[in-house]
Amino acid sequence: MPETKTPLIQMRNINKAFGPVQALKDVNFTLAPGEILGLVGDNSAGKSTLMKVLTGAYHRDTGDVLVDGQPTDFRSPHESRDKGIEMIYQDFALCGNMDIAQNIFLGRWPRRGLFVDRKRMYADAEAVLSRLKVDVNSVFQKVESLSGGRQQSVAIARAISFNPRVVILDEPTANLSVMATERLLETMAELKRQGVAQIIISHRLTDIFEVGDRIMVLKRGQNVGDRYIAHTDEHEVLELIVSGTPETAITADQALAARAA
Amino acid sequence: MAVATVSSPKPSRRLPLELIGGWEVGLILFMALLYLVGVFINPVFFGKADALVSVLRDTARVGIMAVGMTFVIVNKDLDLSVGSTVGLVATVFSICFARSHYDLGIVPSILAAVAFGVAVGLVNGFLVTTLRVPSFITTLTMLFIGRGLVLGLTGGKTISYSDKATSDGGWFFALGANNGFGFNNQILVFALVALVGVFALAKTRWGYETYATGGNEMAASYAGIPTKRVRIRAYVLSALCATLAGLLNVAQDKGVTSQYGQGAELIVIAAVIVGGASILGGRGRVLGGALGAMLVTLIDKVLREGIPMTRIVKVGDVEMQVQGMAQLPPGAVPAFLGIILLLAVLIEPWIIRRQVFPRLLARLRGRPLPPLIEVGGVAIEGAQTKGSTASDKALRARGLGKFLARRDAAAIMLTIVLWAVGLYLRPDFWGSIDNSFNLLLSFTEVGLLSIGLTYVIANGDIDLSVGSVLALSGATAAFLMKQLGFDPWSAVFIALAAGAAAGFVNALLTVRFGLPAFVATLGMFYMARGIGAWMVAGRQLSGFSENFNLLGRKLIEVLRYFGIAPEPGSLAYEIAAALSVQTIFMLLVALVAGIVLAKTPFGQMVYATGGNRRAAEYAGINTNRVRFLSLVFSALCAAAAGVIYIAFLRSFNPSAGQLRELDAIAAVIIGGGSIFGGYGTVIGALAGAAVIALIRALLSLQVLLPDGSSFVMPQHWVNVFIGLILITAVLGDIWFRQGDLVGSIRRRFARRSTPAKGSAHA
Repeated sequence: MPETKTPLIQMRNINKAFGPVQALKDVNFTLAPGEILGLVGDNSAGKSTLMKVLTGAYHRDTGDVLVDGQPTDFRSPHESRDKGIEMIYQDFALCGNMDIAQNIFLGRWPRRGLFVDRKRMYADAEAVLSRLKVDVNSVFQKVESLSGGRQQSVAIARAISFNPRVVILDEPTANLSVMATERLLETMAELKRQGVAQIIISHRLTDIFEVGDRIMVLKRGQNVGDRYIAHTDEHEVLELIVSGTPETAITADQALAARAA
Repeated sequence: MAVATVSSPKPSRRLPLELIGGWEVGLILFMALLYLVGVFINPVFFGKADALVSVLRDTARVGIMAVGMTFVIVNKDLDLSVGSTVGLVATVFSICFARSHYDLGIVPSILAAVAFGVAVGLVNGFLVTTLRVPSFITTLTMLFIGRGLVLGLTGGKTISYSDKATSDGGWFFALGANNGFGFNNQILVFALVALVGVFALAKTRWGYETYATGGNEMAASYAGIPTKRVRIRAYVLSALCATLAGLLNVAQDKGVTSQYGQGAELIVIAAVIVGGASILGGRGRVLGGALGAMLVTLIDKVLREGIPMTRIVKVGDVEMQVQGMAQLPPGAVPAFLGIILLLAVLIEPWIIRRQVFPRLLARLRGRPLPPLIEVGGVAIEGAQTKGSTASDKALRARGLGKFLARRDAAAIMLTIVLWAVGLYLRPDFWGSIDNSFNLLLSFTEVGLLSIGLTYVIANGDIDLSVGSVLALSGATAAFLMKQLGFDPWSAVFIALAAGAAAGFVNALLTVRFGLPAFVATLGMFYMARGIGAWMVAGRQLSGFSENFNLLGRKLIEVLRYFGIAPEPGSLAYEIAAALSVQTIFMLLVALVAGIVLAKTPFGQMVYATGGNRRAAEYAGINTNRVRFLSLVFSALCAAAAGVIYIAFLRSFNPSAGQLRELDAIAAVIIGGGSIFGGYGTVIGALAGAAVIALIRALLSLQVLLPDGSSFVMPQHWVNVFIGLILITAVLGDIWFRQGDLVGSIRRRFARRSTPAKGSAHA
């Protein structure tokens, strides 16, 4: 069924080199609307590079990036943001000295005339947080006094406030406690219900298997496998990470068909 | 087998060719060139062999300090206090030794001096490491405290003991004299210290620990290196080297003046940086530092020696030929040294790290370019999750608690308390119009500086040059009006432009070239004051047109000047008599700056930049622009203060604004700013400025003693106090406002009483 829709994001034959190092080699990537995709692979497999190419933080050497079937050429993350692509960084990129609402609207504080419209800012922040169904004591709280999980909620709320269609989470569970991880997975499911597609870069397969729809494996800058979560297991994915080769790489649908045969 | 042995690479030894490409060799070549220039310009002095010996002799003390400083800088720290340590140690020795004072023997005197030196190093190290005060703040304060102590102890007078030196401690004073080989013993001491330093930093455990700490302190401490001890050790070494230099100084001169070691920190730091050390830590060699010391001393000498020339002087009707020296005016030398410091600091990140020369060579020879090393790939600074419970308390608090939870509460309360103390001490005088007027005046000057500085500090930068920029702008205005006959308005305009230009240079260096703000503004600290002194040739300029001086007058005088003064006795008259033009101007600036910072998106950008610059950049904030504008604004405020200064005093004095950077930084920190950025309000800064003004007034208050006599604290002791207050303010901010020290002590006690509960949590 996903193949009948236009993919939300399609990246074709992406190549990217840093000097003599080929970071990405002919990588293909698709993301369906509302899908949660896990992006896994060993260190230096090219996961972050691929995402940075998507957001425009890096510029690809060759290949195409299509959003809604339209070719794009992002030069900076600000351009991809306009197309509804948001990234949440591993360390959340928040200002600890400012309060929650100020952080949610960092850099685009609502204004009235010359001044910041504080009333609207705090009201809007409340609205965004309630949409996420996360509870923080008060939007007036300073971010530095929040726990890691709460800080991440603020980072997600900030991303959501742009009304994105895709949210990229870079190692979202790396610094979280078990409880906070549970809450995060709930939040991600909630976002999926609201139709936001998500890409998780992670080393922790369990998390991806809990909320993900599909998983994609990169190895040394090449695509080595793509599976539907429902039709694979952690063992198979681990094997792809360790010993997958580009030759054996097949799309999730091909894998499904092969399995059925 | 034979083939295998041939092809196997030799154990890597440095080839002679690589040594030639080294930085140190470049330094030697450059020095030789510079010496030739010196010979060309001034053959009388540099042409003789004596010159070489005298350059070496003067290098000796700088070089010894550079050896210690190398350890500090490789550690990623900075020691601005070496110059004042030289003065302090020399003074302590002299006071102990001189017949006119304690008249102790040579050994106890030396021991006392060394004890003071070690104490300075320990205090620096303790404040920087254990108490986490930024090194430039600690050592800058130590510089001013040391200078204040020197002035206080000597009373500004020269202490001499050349007669006693002949009878007692001859071996010690021989250290400062020439030996049988015709050169000064200090050169020998320098060679010895340098040798030990080279060996210690390059070959021993101490040295390796130093490089590791400077390269990545966290990694070093994870690896089990006691980084705190390493850093304290470097400060003690640096202070010991300064002590040795100070002792050599008195051994040579057999006496001391209060000027000893003044500005030496600039030369020493410049020397170490010129020698190839990185201000960003982890790089630097003692040999380079020693050669750098030689080079900088040589430059200093070339600049100071001047060019011999013949002038024709007419005395009455007789024309006489006079042999004179065309010397650079006072101020020019520090200005040049400031430039050298800044250029040197730029060398490492922009030339060495970017491999400019190897790449150029490869390009010329058509070889593939060596790859660029990623510059600035420093550890990512994440959201600060230090967890201040203070802000949580602020949310819950009501009424008075709400006020107490404000970051500027301490400053506001202190203002009231200090004013009341003044009233208690001198009820006859404190509340008078005269005193209020004077208080407002000094408040205005500090206030104006601290308004601009609030922006810079909230950004996470610092501006050490505000006092010097004040002097620069004052000198510019005075020079233009007095020497060049400019009208007041254009003079004021150009003076402000000069200040803005200084801010522009600060901003360019910090933002565009990525230097730490304290280094860039430290360079400006010397340059701006130097250029100011240069312009007025070190003299006091006075006698400006009276309509210019109105800028610094009371409102009533202005109104009278325009013939619209209100009747004496009326309320309007009283107000106009107590207020001065500059206070009104300052309040206007404060109002606008305060509203911009608190209410507009630009103000939010300032806080975001100071809180987490990377996050702000991701959010689309042009942090470079924000920091740039803030630094220029700070310099503009300082320039305005400079113009007001000369208008009020009706004259310009080259020492204008000295120590004012300390006052202004302290004001901002007391008023709720954080030295690490992200906090600070204009109201808070003004309250802080009021505290500083009140403290200064209280300390210099003439206190009437019960027996009818009176006591006034000398000005240099006041400066020592202000330095202590700055350190206290920074400590209070780090440990109480942000760190919640009280809470953590309470928790620690709570945990101790219920250990079972504590372990269950873990």
